[in-house]
This record gives sequence, C-alpha cells and structure tokens, in this order.
Amino acid sequence: MQDEESLVRRAKQHDQEAFAQLYEKYFDKIYRYVALKVGDRMEAEDITQQVFLKAIKSISSFKWKGFPFSSWLFRIAHNQVVDYLRKKTKREAVALDDTLLTSDDDPQLAFDHKLDMEQLALATKKLTRAQQEVISLRFAAELPIAQVAKVMGRSEGAVKALQHSAVLTLRKVLTGTG
Amino acid sequence: MKKDREFENIFDECLERMARGDTIMQCLESNLEQAEQLEPLLRMAQAARETSAILPRPEFRARARYEFHSALQEVTSKKRPSLFGLRTRLVTAIVALSIILVSGGGTVVMASSSMPDNPLYPVKLVSEEMQLALTPSDIDKAEVCVMQADRRVDEIVYLADKGDAQQVHVTAGRLDECLETLVEIASLEGAEAAAVVGEEALPGALTAVPEAAPVEEAAVDGPTEESALIADGDLDELKTTVVCHAANNQSALLRKLMDAPESVKPALHRAITVSANGYEQVLTTFD
Repeated sequence: MQDEESLVRRAKQHDQEAFAQLYEKYFDKIYRYVALKVGDRMEAEDITQQVFLKAIKSISSFKWKGFPFSSWLFRIAHNQVVDYLRKKTKREAVALDDTLLTSDDDPQLAFDHKLDMEQLALATKKLTRAQQEVISLRFAAELPIAQVAKVMGRSEGAVKALQHSAVLTLRKVLTGTG
Repeated sequence: MKKDREFENIFDECLERMARGDTIMQCLESNLEQAEQLEPLLRMAQAARETSAILPRPEFRARARYEFHSALQEVTSKKRPSLFGLRTRLVTAIVALSIILVSGGGTVVMASSSMPDNPLYPVKLVSEEMQLALTPSDIDKAEVCVMQADRRVDEIVYLADKGDAQQVHVTAGRLDECLETLVEIASLEGAEAAAVVGEEALPGALTAVPEAAPVEEAAVDGPTEESALIADGDLDELKTTVVCHAANNQSALLRKLMDAPESVKPALHRAITVSANGYEQVLTTFD
C-alpha cells in the first residue's frame, strides 16, 4: 500500500484505485465510530455509506495542510452523525436513557456480563461531547492518540486528559458508582 | 496537577500496550504504585474497546462497496467527459439516422420495443432523444420524460431477470439522467407556476409504495377563464402523473428485488435508490 498522501493526491485526480484503497483502509473504522455514536447497526450502515459518498463528492475540496486525510473523513462522519441525531426525536432518547439507568441493580455485577453496543452507546451519551468524541475515535475507530488530537484539533495532553475523564465517567455511569 | 498528567500518561501508555497485545496484569505490574487506581479504568477501557470492535455485516459490506464503486465511476465519468464517448454517441446518432432515412419508420417502430441487449437499442435511444428535442412545450417534454423513465424501469426489470448486473447498472444511470431532465423541466415549470401547490404530489408516496391512484381522481377540472389557470391545471395533472408513475415504477423494482438473482441485487438496490431519489427530487421541485 502506498503512503496516504500520495493516495489522496491520486484520489483527488479521480484515480479510482487510489480512492478504493482509502475506502478499504477506513471503512471499518468509520463504521465502528458511527455505530458507537448512534448505537444502532442499521442506522450506522446508512450513515457510513453516506460518509463515503460525501467523500467522493467533496474530495476535490480536500487540501493537505498537515492534517491527515482521516481527520477530514472523520469530520464528515461526525457531521453526518450530528445531522442524524438532530433528526431523532427527543422522546425516543429519553425512553432509552430510562431503560439504561434501571438496568443494573448491583453495580459490581455490571461488569460481569459483557457490554453490548447499545448499552455502551447510551452510556456515552452521559459524557460531554468532547469525551464522547475521544471514546469513539480512540476505542471504536482505534486511532492513536496523536491522530485523535489532530482530528479534534487539540493537543495530545488535552486528549489524554479527556480520555481519562471519559473512561472514569463511563465507569461511573455503567456501574452506578459515585 | 502534575500528578494528574503523570497518571493520564501512564493510563494512555497502558492502553497502547493493551492495543499491542499486553494484558491488564502486565500493565499493572509495571505500574504498581498506580495499580489500584488503574485497574478499574483499564477494565472499563478494555470493555469499551471490545464492545466497539464490531464488524460490518458481510452483505452490508458488499452492498456498500458496490455502491461506492458505482458512485466513484459516475463521478469520474462526469468529471472527465471522454472524447471517445462523445464520438461514439455522435457516430451512433449518425448511424441511427441513416438507418431511419434508408429503411423508413419501420426500423424505429421495431427499435421502440427493443431492450438494451438488442442491436436496435441504440436506435431507440436516439429516437427518444429526437422525440424530446422535437417536442415543443415543456409540459409535453416532461410527459415524454415520464414515459422514457417508465421504459428504463421496464428495461431494468428485464435485465434483472436475465441476471445482467452490469447492464442494470448502466440502465439505472440512464434512468438517473432521465429523471434529472425531468427535474430541469420541473424547475422551469415550478418557477412559472410558483403559486400552484399540488396536494397529491407527496414525496412520501415513494417510500410507502402506494397503489397507483387513478390520474383522473386528482385532475383539475377543465380550463375556465384565464390561460394561467390552464397552465396550473396542466401542472397539477403532470404532478399527479409523476406520482402515479413513480409509485408504479418503485413498486415494480421492489417486486423484482424479491425474486432477482443475488448477483443482480446490489445493482437493483442502486436502481431503486436512483428511482426513489430522482422522483422525490422531481416532486420536491414541483412544490
């Protein structure tokens, strides 16, 4: 596989093979990132597809200014997710939240069973937006800290702090420990 | 503050090590002083990572890949108009015209029912282009487009039956072009008769795939006084026609999806999307 910068340059010139390589590289990551944010596989599929169709349409506007291609792609994914969540009814969200809060009586038991995606997605809703972004990029998309920092436009130190506080809060939410 | 930073760095290092295959215990052993604080967080992080590590369903992966490549191909061909393609089209038009002039109308009549795998099919396409160009009013042009879109859908159904995914894809592209032309005409008509709001033209009709309502039901009563009213009535009628044809075509494509060979389904999915989006855009433009 060629280095990303040259692939992106070729993709901008409508080189199908180069674009296809970028697609294969990021497809799973984008899907997981979206799935964790929306907590629904079917919706995640639709949104993931939209992300790449948008990328095809706007690749010519991408400029390599020290920011990796991934930050541009995850920005598209982020916007698609925000659009989707905006359209979702508030009522639905409240109902799901209630289910989550009453699901575990014993906090210690909470980690004895495996987390499922919906449970995790709901728990992340209790985090701040920045914390949610770090969890999705770091654990779902599996980006290294330096890349997360570039995607979010923050320093690595700030991302590490967010990562710590996010995991701490996530644990509190899922185990019910204060 | 400094201690916090130190802990955040250790936590991140442990996460990196775990991503590379180290266990939680190995990380804790290397950081005994922070082990008690680290352990619950690392377990939480590991659970979050494992839960998030889902893979897309294989059928979704295949469909998404197909749609991505189709879209890529479409954009590439639009951005770089091929001289060869233009020449081919011109040659086809000249050949078709020559055939028409030499053999008379019989060939055109025969070609009008030909399918994409028939040698006379290019004649059908050229005669359709000529018909559109020679139709004087926009309303009539729109009706021609509606009929042409119907033919494209019939062709897609025919090709799906034959299991020809490649041609289904190509014909879906032609359907898209046809509906785009309809959008252009609708935008002209919409601007001229902006006051007209047809209650029948609901874009939702496409997703629900309702039974086709009879055109007469929604048709406006005959012209009364002003010519503007005649135009409004025509537009209403056209919108109703589009709604009916959209619903029929969408339902035909969806029905075909049920019994089409698996190899054709991704191409059919795309045709359904093209049809739904195209008609919806036409109706939105009318509104």
